[in-house]
Amino acid sequence: MAGDYYEVLGVPRSASAEELQRAFRTLARRYHPDVNSDPSAEERFKEINEAYHVLSDPQTRARYDRYGPDFRQVPEGAPAGAGASPGGGRSTGRGRGSTVRTEGVDIDLEDLLRGFGGFRGFDDWGGATASMPGADQQAEIELTVEEAYRGGKHRIALAGPSGERSYQVTIPPGAINGQRIRLAGEGGRGSGEGAPGDLYLVVRVAPHPRFRLDGRDIYTDVKVAPWEAALGATVPVATPGGEAKVRVPEGSSSGRQLRLAGEGMPNPRGTPGDLYAVVRIVVPKRLSRRERELYDELSRVSTFDPRAES
Amino acid sequence: MTHPRWPLAVVIPPRTIGLDEFARRARLHPQLVQRYVALGLLDAKRDAAGELRFAPAQLAVVARIQRLRATLPLNYAALGLVLDLLDRIRELEDASRRSAPPWT
Repeated sequence: MAGDYYEVLGVPRSASAEELQRAFRTLARRYHPDVNSDPSAEERFKEINEAYHVLSDPQTRARYDRYGPDFRQVPEGAPAGAGASPGGGRSTGRGRGSTVRTEGVDIDLEDLLRGFGGFRGFDDWGGATASMPGADQQAEIELTVEEAYRGGKHRIALAGPSGERSYQVTIPPGAINGQRIRLAGEGGRGSGEGAPGDLYLVVRVAPHPRFRLDGRDIYTDVKVAPWEAALGATVPVATPGGEAKVRVPEGSSSGRQLRLAGEGMPNPRGTPGDLYAVVRIVVPKRLSRRERELYDELSRVSTFDPRAES
Repeated sequence: MTHPRWPLAVVIPPRTIGLDEFARRARLHPQLVQRYVALGLLDAKRDAAGELRFAPAQLAVVARIQRLRATLPLNYAALGLVLDLLDRIRELEDASRRSAPPWT
């Protein structure tokens, strides 16, 4: 819901006509539905246009300053203090033109001639074309790695022109970063008989403490003891779909990637990604007496030099 | 009764729309559509008979042209530039979304 017209344009009440125009142009560019595909931009764009439409005309501006949001209920030329009829609220576009006096009003004539200042919001695109389709919109939907892996139903709430809209969407299993989910006809509203645009939900997979994604491939660390790395072992590894077992071959150093084919992100239309368990050798923080003896012996016996050029 | 035997896969040529149908769906006069093509704002191919054929996705481009024309004082050259820039921004945004985020 629009607040104060001055707040909408981000200018003080004392703003000059030039300041108003500068604020309007800057904001109108930023929130233009073809530049800004955020679903909330459409409403903002309308508010900006409506605010400027009222404030750019010195007479309607004076009436707005005096009567506030209900100024349209006050007959033109009414003396100050004439009662505004309550309950009407703001009109939303239709019939607004009738309250604007164009006679002898100092508006930006150049703009008017070029159709810019005459823009009146999405319900009335200024008359050049009666019907115009709405713009496509885009919003992000954030999923955890597990949610993206499994897919399933999600509820998403978006700010829209008529309050908050809520959608239940079905995410296919194996959704990846940047994947789009199309909600036909849920984008920007058209004007006249123009069809609405589509709403695209763009998947963003949230950072995960354990899983890193590269396309459909998943990387995760698998912690192993020094002797497991040296001798080889079969160890459990967490995957988004549950626990799996991975065989660490003997002689695996830190950083070695063990591939679990097909255990990455599912792919409804092809081969799934792979899961890479990245070996990370972890040593005990404190050694027992016996462990220390064994490590001491190992260090005496071994000829292995990890820093030797290989 | 035997089932009809279907080919396993058929190559479906991309569907295109003729000028009149395109203009009707865009709610524009065909001459204006032709003008947009001549100005390089819309993509169209000519078929064997020399008639213009449009990909359905061009309807979204027409809608964008109409919205931009209705709200900004752009001439056709500037409009073409805005369309190109918006396309490029979209491509870059898509690419940056798909590429590995900083936490990997």
